[in-house]
Amino acid sequence: MELLLFNVLNGLLLGVFYALMAMGLSLILGLNRIINFAHGGFLALAGYLAYTLLPYLGFFGALIVAPLLTAVLGVLVERFLIRRLYGRDPLFSLLLTFGLVLIMEDMIRTVWGAQGLPLQTPAILQSALSQTYFFITGYRVLILAIAVAFSIGLLLFLRYTKVGLRILAGASDLDTIAALGVNIYQLRAISFAAGIFLAGIAGVLAAGWQGLTPQMGDALIMPSFVAIIVGGVGSLLGSLLGGLLIGVASGVTSAFYPQASQLVIYLIMALVLAIRPRGLLGKKGVFE
Amino acid sequence: MTDKKHPSGQNHQDDQSSPVSRRTFLKAGAALTAAGTLGLGTRAAQAADKVRIGVLNPSTGTYAELGKNQTRGAQMAAAEINGSGGVLGRELELIVTDTASKTGLAVSKAHQLVSQHGVHFLQGTVSSAVSEAIEQASKDMGTLFVDSGGHATPVTGKYCNWSTFRVCTTTYMLAAGIADTLMKKYGKRWYFLTPNYAFGLTEQAAFESILKANGGTVLGSALAPLGTTDFSSYLIQAQAAKPDCLIILQAGDDLVHALTQVNQFGLQHKFGVAGGMMELEVLKALPESARVGAWSFEWWWNQPNTPHVKNFVDSYRKRYNGEYPTARSWFGYVATHSIAQGATEAKSLDAKKVARVMGGMELPPEVGLEPATLKFRADDHQLMAGIFAGEVKSGGSYPDLFNVLNYEPGASIAQSAAQKGCHMSMPS
Repeated sequence: MELLLFNVLNGLLLGVFYALMAMGLSLILGLNRIINFAHGGFLALAGYLAYTLLPYLGFFGALIVAPLLTAVLGVLVERFLIRRLYGRDPLFSLLLTFGLVLIMEDMIRTVWGAQGLPLQTPAILQSALSQTYFFITGYRVLILAIAVAFSIGLLLFLRYTKVGLRILAGASDLDTIAALGVNIYQLRAISFAAGIFLAGIAGVLAAGWQGLTPQMGDALIMPSFVAIIVGGVGSLLGSLLGGLLIGVASGVTSAFYPQASQLVIYLIMALVLAIRPRGLLGKKGVFE
Repeated sequence: MTDKKHPSGQNHQDDQSSPVSRRTFLKAGAALTAAGTLGLGTRAAQAADKVRIGVLNPSTGTYAELGKNQTRGAQMAAAEINGSGGVLGRELELIVTDTASKTGLAVSKAHQLVSQHGVHFLQGTVSSAVSEAIEQASKDMGTLFVDSGGHATPVTGKYCNWSTFRVCTTTYMLAAGIADTLMKKYGKRWYFLTPNYAFGLTEQAAFESILKANGGTVLGSALAPLGTTDFSSYLIQAQAAKPDCLIILQAGDDLVHALTQVNQFGLQHKFGVAGGMMELEVLKALPESARVGAWSFEWWWNQPNTPHVKNFVDSYRKRYNGEYPTARSWFGYVATHSIAQGATEAKSLDAKKVARVMGGMELPPEVGLEPATLKFRADDHQLMAGIFAGEVKSGGSYPDLFNVLNYEPGASIAQSAAQKGCHMSMPS
């Protein structure tokens, strides 16, 4: 029983992290209509930038600055590459971002080496909160707090700011808001940058938790895609829900049948797709 | 020499302004990219006078760093061999390719290396699953293969055959080299964290058989897929079992991730954390507080009393920006030198003739670089390499991260060919 409780809690911690990544992806998917395969590449890049910046800025400095730099790179990529592909078959952006992942991964391998690297986290966060709940470390609480803060922050931003409302409106009908005089080029850049910033935050947090490897993005990004599909494409709350759901499911499964802990998230996806093809909170009309 | 990507220029005629042809171009490009991950491309002209070894190491994926060092060792050996006249008076050329530790990809590249590049020999691999696949492929092609870094016992056990030799130790030897130390230091109730494929499963079986023979208890095991990054749920299982010692059998980046999280959870303060194979690449990648435990190393750079080791380390460092050679560098180095030595002694590049020489062949001390004299056993083609058993040095800094407590010569910890199920038969 205790084991079950442990695995549910652990699954929640994992799920929150998946949700953080999924929200960035979801944001870009919603407004920009780009299936951003390069999300994992940006994520890893932010982690490595944080590694380089850490001696100068400290952990928390790097946690802010590295994602910001990555977001700037994201804007450049959006401006010069992705922008040309808006309105075309999603296959194009899929190919482009897939290529970008390969380039970014090899770039990381060239600059920082193929070898894994440790990202030193503050000593104060390194110990567990209690002897019994040894897996709830200060660092994982920090991940939880940041993920929750960004989730709430993003939802508030979208609901209560002018730019946020425009992004939401654009996600459901871009042509109309363009006709109403909104600068959709700027809006897309903002949305892409915000999505990449979230990827960056997730990347730095993941680096402190698992260590850095050039292909770290690959492993982390797949569950996020699943989270989006389970939660419903185009729904940010859905992504959050999807992330939590697959996190807990894989946590609990690993307590009773560890071999299936990876499989279970795809089973959930298949089940959701069979019963509710648009996902749990998916809206009609997105990618249809 | 690395993979050549397909030239992108050849489709430029299609790349006109019309969206249809542009789309065609993109699709063609995608197809080419996909083909590029499978193929080496073809080379029209092959220098007929060179002796070629195809080197199959991962340069991407979980084992990228390990693969890189095996390749470096091989390249250094090739440079030395060419510096002293080559093989049978011909220049030795390495054709290096990325397997990404994927069996299907590795096998198709092995076939390409032999049929299109005309390589005479194959060497390499880090993942045991890939080693087993290449072993089968090389047997089918009649090409000699030296497994430099895939450890699963069956490669020189039940799958053994005339065309495959192995430099690194078996998973059984990795376990036998450290098991006594672990039982004495931590106790005899063990829980395993095991990568779920040939390497992990055979190594766990080896540890279990030794533990049970000594009256110990196996409390359970958590099987994690290759490439796992989050080990938290597996570690919760391990902690619930309350073992004397958690035996971690991961390698490469997987081991880095596992130990990083063991350290975050403070598990090394609750029970022993140790395992079979530790490598300098992994220790270097870990934060200082996560460098813990007793382990087997298969080669260690600091052997003050072994002749030629210092020379080897110095010239390796000179060649590779001051980096120290690891066990992987040594695997690659020994594999290439062994092939060259075998061909030279056989006075032939014929796989069968070279294989006959290599079975039972002794390595010179400047290649062996261990306290014991190393040779390939004739009855299973396994190099009798030793194990450097010891403990991670607390507070050490690169490269001085490990205390060797004991050198176990390979012959004292290896199972016999019959015990492993190897029945070697040489072709006539």
